[in-house]
Amino acid sequence: MILNVDNISVNYGAINALRDISFTLNEGEIVALIGANGAGKSTSLNTVSGLLRPTTGKVEYLGSDITTVTPQAIVNLGIIQVPEGRKIFAKMSVWENLEMGAYTVKDRKVIQERYEMVYQKFPRLKERRNQPGGTLSGGEQQMLAIARGLMAGPKVLLLDEPSMGLSPILVEQIFDIIQEINKTGTSILLVEQNALMALAIADRGYVLDTGRIVLQGDADDLLHNPTVINAYLGGETTD
Amino acid sequence: MKTLIRQSIRTGITYGIVQIFFILIAFNTMVGIMLAKISGIKNPGEIPAAKFLIAYTILMGLWVGISALSKKKFLPAGHKLLAGFTAGLVSAILVGLLELAMTGILVNKIFIRDFLTVLSFDFIKATLFGLTPVLGIVVTMGAIVLGSLLAVGLNIVTNLNAVQEHWKKDLSFLKNLNDKFQRMIRGKYHLIWQIVGISILAVAVIFIPMKWGSYWNYVFGTVGLYVILGLGLNIIVGLSGQLVLGYIAFFAIGAYTMALLNAPEPHNLMWGFWPALLLGVLLAALSGILLGLPIMRLRGDYLAIVTLGFGEIIRILLKSDVLTDFTGGPRGIQNIQGPMLFGKPFNSEVDFVYLIIAGVLLASFVYNRLQQSRTGRAWLAIREDETVARASGVDTIKYKLLALAIGAAFAGLAGGIYASRNQFTGPDEHALMASINVLSLIIVGGMGNIPGTILGAFTLKGLPEILREFANFRLLAFGALLVFMMLSRPEGLIPSHRPKYDEPNEVSGEMKKKEVPHDQ
Repeated sequence: MILNVDNISVNYGAINALRDISFTLNEGEIVALIGANGAGKSTSLNTVSGLLRPTTGKVEYLGSDITTVTPQAIVNLGIIQVPEGRKIFAKMSVWENLEMGAYTVKDRKVIQERYEMVYQKFPRLKERRNQPGGTLSGGEQQMLAIARGLMAGPKVLLLDEPSMGLSPILVEQIFDIIQEINKTGTSILLVEQNALMALAIADRGYVLDTGRIVLQGDADDLLHNPTVINAYLGGETTD
Repeated sequence: MKTLIRQSIRTGITYGIVQIFFILIAFNTMVGIMLAKISGIKNPGEIPAAKFLIAYTILMGLWVGISALSKKKFLPAGHKLLAGFTAGLVSAILVGLLELAMTGILVNKIFIRDFLTVLSFDFIKATLFGLTPVLGIVVTMGAIVLGSLLAVGLNIVTNLNAVQEHWKKDLSFLKNLNDKFQRMIRGKYHLIWQIVGISILAVAVIFIPMKWGSYWNYVFGTVGLYVILGLGLNIIVGLSGQLVLGYIAFFAIGAYTMALLNAPEPHNLMWGFWPALLLGVLLAALSGILLGLPIMRLRGDYLAIVTLGFGEIIRILLKSDVLTDFTGGPRGIQNIQGPMLFGKPFNSEVDFVYLIIAGVLLASFVYNRLQQSRTGRAWLAIREDETVARASGVDTIKYKLLALAIGAAFAGLAGGIYASRNQFTGPDEHALMASINVLSLIIVGGMGNIPGTILGAFTLKGLPEILREFANFRLLAFGALLVFMMLSRPEGLIPSHRPKYDEPNEVSGEMKKKEVPHDQ
């Protein structure tokens, strides 16, 4: 178990965004957190990455408690978040965005290797490396956001709605890339509204509803679970 | 074609209005006097000779023409001519209308100086070049149009490679000259030209303060101090993106440290200038951190309000009766000692101008290095998106505090020099208006870059001093300038560009010496 989230609750003021939820991520797995708007998916990710603090419960990474560790230290430990809505640095060029991703890496050689690795995965980014990030298309910006995450050399990658606002073809491309990244040994925690796509590539899944986990299990089982089909996959889907 | 004409008319109207303002603050006679002095006339009097005013008018026309053609260098020559001519004509008509109105005042002998100070009969006559009203107006309009046509010619000549083929052939000899000149500036002599340029500037900076008298040195020094302040605030607002409004409080801390340690009243400590300056800088930086700690979680408007409060607290503390024994209270502190250097005391404005120039150079150097460093990129990331910066592993609190501390240290430096130069400091010098002035100067000049800050300081602190003769009127002109600026150039006079996005090296190769990112 690389990541163990144990009974955490998170409040925004008086509102309980998460109530006693627990989930785990094993080494080499893709785990999907699915659910409707406001179910608490992004909140869960932000809690793991240290941007939010739980009021109760704890987050364990490789056996040690990281609940109160600062976000930058968590990045140093190898847990990298790719934020929702392709939040790239619009005024920085593509390579500067990547450079920011490797901000915690001190060794220039390692950074150089990662550039090569990232440019190999995303040839479009190499073509546009001297262009301001804000001038990229939506799909390219999402790729840049993921590539920036890879620059830090993640052991765990937290992906927040990578399919948001992209055309179906681009979504497929992005999900192919996610699987590829996973094959090279990075464990992935994936938050998605697109439940079908997410469960199709995930090993296991959790279904969140208003701050609670209502269902969990193998991705295949969830794909065929009548509740999930009715609530998230549009009812008639039998696949 | 239609859009081109419409654009030109708009430019003409804008610059026509600017010119009307210039005339209303008697800028034309002022420039006329300057031109007369340059051409060797010792005592041009209050109203310069007509030929200088005509020269001024042509220059204004040139300005209109250049503005109408800015960013249009790839237009065919005929279109350029049309654009320049239209803009020139439109602004000429506006100025003509103003002069018509002024003629009305003159002919009907309406006494208007109570409202518009500069519009004396003599001034109106001079503006009409001493000719009959109709002829004067015609000459004015003609001069403006002539100027704009000159601009068209200049634009065509300097952009020859962008002009159509047949033009190129006819004017190929000019293009050759132009190419040679460009190569001379940009080519292998680049370094030499830079050195020549810098030496000319250095000589000017060293000799001009000796020549031009203490008033101008005072103005120049004030501008320099505001450049230091502007650079400091630029680190906080422009680079790290924190909107801090009470910035002048740090200036006050520097000034009062200097004053309390170097004045006979109230403490008579007499530490000397340099230790007090150093301590002032350190205390300002420390107070920047202390202010920063509680406000790190605030952003945007809330940060502005809290820091505004901080600035007022400092001012009120300095003014309070309770602390009079310690801070000198509302009356401030007088007879602050000047600095000693190599055993000699500073005794004139000239010495202070040199000191301030040294301060500006130091501040610019530090600013430039910071901007191009890893720290600079972290600040940029924070400014663009603080959450993502944190998620990328940037210790946002550390860098925000660092920005506050360094920015505050700049203000402490400026404050110390300021108090020592004026030999006086009091609480009212550090009012909210001063903070707003510094913020305005970086907004007007262009957020986040050094040339913009310098230009902004000249515009905001230098111009009002120069326009002082026109007393109440200058604030009106000044306000109009600000409104005009924000409408036409919201990014400032010199917008901050990040032109070089290039990766330092090819990815496949080894990382060589240039690891510094090309900010700016």
